[in-house]
Amino acid sequence: MIFDHLRYGPKVSLLAFGALEGRAREATERHAGSCARCRSELESLLALHEVLRADPVRGAEPGLPLPMLVARVEARVSEALARPRGHWAWRLGVGLPAAAAIVAIALLAPRIASRVTPVPPPPAGVDEPPVVSAEALSRLERNVAREQAARYLSDAGDVLVTVAAAPAECDRKDERVDVGQASARSRELLARRALLLESGPQAVASARPVLDDVEQALREVASLESCVRRRDVERLRANVERRQLLLRIRLMTRELEG
Amino acid sequence: MQSPAEPGSDLDLLHRLAAGDREALTPLMERHYRRLYRLALSYLRNPDDALDAVQETFVKTFQNAARWDGTSEAGPWLSRITINVAIDRYRRDKRRQATFTPLAEGDHDETIAGGEPSPERRTFGSELAGRIASALRVLPEKQRAVFVLRHYEEMSLEEIAESLGMSLGTVKSSLHRAVHRLRERLQGVRA
Repeated sequence: MIFDHLRYGPKVSLLAFGALEGRAREATERHAGSCARCRSELESLLALHEVLRADPVRGAEPGLPLPMLVARVEARVSEALARPRGHWAWRLGVGLPAAAAIVAIALLAPRIASRVTPVPPPPAGVDEPPVVSAEALSRLERNVAREQAARYLSDAGDVLVTVAAAPAECDRKDERVDVGQASARSRELLARRALLLESGPQAVASARPVLDDVEQALREVASLESCVRRRDVERLRANVERRQLLLRIRLMTRELEG
Repeated sequence: MQSPAEPGSDLDLLHRLAAGDREALTPLMERHYRRLYRLALSYLRNPDDALDAVQETFVKTFQNAARWDGTSEAGPWLSRITINVAIDRYRRDKRRQATFTPLAEGDHDETIAGGEPSPERRTFGSELAGRIASALRVLPEKQRAVFVLRHYEEMSLEEIAESLGMSLGTVKSSLHRAVHRLRERLQGVRA
């Protein structure tokens, strides 16, 4: 019986979560009918199954209307199509030798350094050096600042795409459209931008022109009422297009991500 | 490429995408985006990340439509892309968190904005959802994917094995382990 119990243990889990069919299912059900431990196990797992079936995620609705999602995907697809041929081959061609060189330097540097300048043993009583050097720490901070900037730009791009993607009408007679969510999101992003520049202005210096243009565009969106005239949105979209802001955001995000 | 499938069907839309017809994206998204969103959300447990994953899924669908075998069902193919995008995203975020201190605990956007959470976030923030999210978080990423594909997507074990590139035996043992870990974590929780 104990052997059977062990043999059927995993099958009871699969049975409780509806993953057994046919003969395997019948055999496991039959066994659970005659084995008190397996029956109790099955009941316990069925109760768990019920709890998990009540997970609100099962009925969750996306927070972004379909037209906006379509616009985002189309923007990404257009960008992918516009990318010059051989882009990846070029990156690979440059990237692989560069990576090999970095690995080689990392492997050889300690040996070369120890030949050129022998390192004296630390005097007794002197504390161990810190695990992370100041240089490594500064590099880490720079990377963090650049990652934050990349994320911020990517989120800002999403907001601008959302506004450009024919928002839903809120007042048909007056030709007004709903930009409430995008406007609120712009205000959040502007708050994030302030923190971004405080945390690492040097690290994101190269992104400054794009960050400034994005800030201007976000301010325009943030200043919109939630139910705004369609022509105001079109004017904003024309500005974004004229400045090629979405393309510049995408390129700068990639550069920041390294 | 001439589509042999019924016009407007999933198969027809995928054939059209494979031939570079971008117009086919919208009806395909319309049909599947809710289901894929829930799948991504059940794995990532974050509405923004789930939306990004769905977006990424459709971009990949367009880019890889030519690699689709032309006969298999579109639904499972899209689910497979979504779960793999979600796993990649989860790994990336884990790596990021290892070297990156977030602006604030939890959802930094919401913290900074200080505004009312959306209805979607309120649903997601329910106590039960929170308990389930923390329980799922302790599962290794593939085990979690197996569980999600079975419980939320109701895929067969064979389909899961194919989607995740695992053997059938590994899928069975992963599901068994996942279920037992979840039971430990959700002890005392009632539906």
